Amino acid sequence: MKYQVVIAGIGGQGAVFLVKVLSIAAGLKDQKCLGTENHGMSQRGGSVSCYVKVGDFYSPAIDEGQADLLIALEGNEGLRNIQYLKKDGGTIIVNADEKFPNIEYKTVKIDAFEKATNGEIPIQALNVYMLGVTLAKDPNFPFNLGDIEEAIKVMNAKMADKNIAVLHKAIEDSRSV
Amino acid sequence: MKQILMGNEAIALGLVHANVDMVSGYPGTPSSEILGNFEKFSKKFDCETYAQWATNEKVGFEVAYAGAIAGKRTCTTLKQVGLNVASDALMSASYIGHLGAMLLVSADDPGFHSSQTEQDSRSFAKFAKIPVFDPATPQEAYDMVKIALDLSQKFETPVMLRPVMRVSHAREICEVDDEVNFQPNKGEFKRDMGRWAAVPPKGRFAQGLEQLRRVDTIAQYNWENFIEPRVKELKGGQTLCLTSGTGDGYVKEATEELGLEADILKLDMPYPLPKEKLEKLFDDYKTVIVFEETYPCIEEQLSSPKLHGKLTNDVHKIDEFSKDKVIQAFNNVGLTDKQSPYQNKKFEDELPVRPPNLCPGCPHRDVYYSIMKVFKKKKSIYSSDIGCYTLALNQGAIDTVLCMGASVAMASGFSIADKSKTVIASIGDSTFTHSGVAPLINAVYQKHRFILVIMDNSVTAMTGRQKTPERANPGVINLKHIVEGCGAVCMEHIYTPDIDESVAFMKEVKKKFEDMDGPLVVIMREFCVLDKERAPAMLPGIYAEVDPDKCVACDICTTQYKCPPMHYNEDHKIEIDPFLCIGCDACIDDLCPTDAFIERKLK
Repeated sequence: MKYQVVIAGIGGQGAVFLVKVLSIAAGLKDQKCLGTENHGMSQRGGSVSCYVKVGDFYSPAIDEGQADLLIALEGNEGLRNIQYLKKDGGTIIVNADEKFPNIEYKTVKIDAFEKATNGEIPIQALNVYMLGVTLAKDPNFPFNLGDIEEAIKVMNAKMADKNIAVLHKAIEDSRSV
Repeated sequence: MKQILMGNEAIALGLVHANVDMVSGYPGTPSSEILGNFEKFSKKFDCETYAQWATNEKVGFEVAYAGAIAGKRTCTTLKQVGLNVASDALMSASYIGHLGAMLLVSADDPGFHSSQTEQDSRSFAKFAKIPVFDPATPQEAYDMVKIALDLSQKFETPVMLRPVMRVSHAREICEVDDEVNFQPNKGEFKRDMGRWAAVPPKGRFAQGLEQLRRVDTIAQYNWENFIEPRVKELKGGQTLCLTSGTGDGYVKEATEELGLEADILKLDMPYPLPKEKLEKLFDDYKTVIVFEETYPCIEEQLSSPKLHGKLTNDVHKIDEFSKDKVIQAFNNVGLTDKQSPYQNKKFEDELPVRPPNLCPGCPHRDVYYSIMKVFKKKKSIYSSDIGCYTLALNQGAIDTVLCMGASVAMASGFSIADKSKTVIASIGDSTFTHSGVAPLINAVYQKHRFILVIMDNSVTAMTGRQKTPERANPGVINLKHIVEGCGAVCMEHIYTPDIDESVAFMKEVKKKFEDMDGPLVVIMREFCVLDKERAPAMLPGIYAEVDPDKCVACDICTTQYKCPPMHYNEDHKIEIDPFLCIGCDACIDDLCPTDAFIERKLK
């Protein structure tokens, strides 16, 4: 099995957190996985793109036209990275409103900013929320809810309950998307 | 035992498992997490070790090096540009050697993610004549730490480990030792003046000859231990790819996915290489291509008409590796004529650029704003330095960025060269203690007229908020005393999130400077908004919003202030992103000429 994920967002939104969660989830299943993160200057509110490669890979970065999935924590950062998606079958799961343009890839969009504005989710959990949407909407995603819950607990036991609640909320919300 | 580790964690754990008991470094992306994790693992496994941030890379190197002379197993960590600072010590250490072991971890940053140059530390190792290992993954980084330290002890020479950002910040499942059998190494300095204090020309010449012999011996060791076992797996034929570090992964994946026939020989130690033995291998191939990141380190050590790489313009010379670049190289050499499957259409419409920026609420922003307000751009030169505050480029508040500490001496130079302008240098507290003190003394004794603003947030912020010397020793080390000790006049100001107050203080600075015939130093006592210990008390929690009737779209906030939450909405009025505003209160009342920023009413 080979599955390549690009996670795009703005520095501070928690893209690196998702790389950690997916790496841990892979580790718990003893599934080969290579993830890379952005640190330092790129963390200061700039564009961030991280990679997770699940399966037999040797190189850490993802080339254009190779990603099965793009999780975009913000619309423009999603668009900035669409070239990484596979021409056939690449999926983008994006936090965006109805203004997000039509693109040639399978698109799942959900307005997480609106949910945060309405107080439905804490803005700090935007990343976990989008991971929940991914679990609900990407049938080929190599992890299931149990895997991710377990990884979240391993990563930070104190915050696990809150994060898992957001995960469930996202899955629930995804029914109407 | 299997463990999920980030590259820098793997290196840190490798150090503990390799019985290293002294680590001394200076933070720099992508190397910064090694020392902190070493400290963490040391505590976890109850190992008595030394792990400290030095004031700069040269100091860090020398502390670790002296430890190795005295028989300890030591390590220094830095980034590739930090190696430039430590290079003076490294060049001599390579002649003299040591009795214990010393690993120099120099993390490279191909692609300029967080660095001002893309230099290749492997080529620096070659220049200094020390062996270098180039890991491709966190697992390899872990394994190579142990191998490199043993090699260092065996040959009495510092050895380099060169992880790139995609190794330091990669995560994977690593196989690591089950147990920690840490035994502190006995530190015992053995007097040997002929060696430790070798005097030129005779003493150093002799060491130079020894160095040459050592390099030859290690090249042979490289062949026997790291290369020959892999040669047996080669099949021979059309093409041989020589790879190093991450280059190996890209070549493996690309050749597999595209069905390209080629043998791949990975060189774990890209210097020193057994030249003749490697070139002999070329007999079995028509073409040899070298894939390495980012300088032609391997390529420069070999010669053959069959050899292709950066020097023959077949392989890219700048930027990170990718599979696309592998297929391009195959095409350039004429081995294939394939359309690269690793290219795809970008989004067609223009997207707003999103450069890194100072955090919302960052005091640096107010300080730069007030500098520009009082010392007008047309009449000033703003020399600056390396740190978070470099991001004030977005405000147009910085004219020059060169290297660590350069703001001060460049201010000297500008003050001599262009007397019509006021020179205002800015430097962080950590960068000032790193390399700002010597140029300040220079400026005092030569009477250079400029203003130096030390922006003291009491952390090394950009690299993850490591403690600075002053923060770690409150009441003992004091920047003001240092500045005054250099003979400079010093003004100190405690920052508050009140722009008018910062501007008023800058006016006092201007007035004071009028009477000066040398440098005037200003210490702005600030804080870092990400500093969990100090920031909460400094941020009043007064959030801003915009009164759209008052906003006249004058652009002052979006050009001179540049706080990330501020942006234009569809009605071309400024809007504050409520998720980004940190509640510093600074913009309310003082910033907007029409007072459009008002306190957000909580619903």
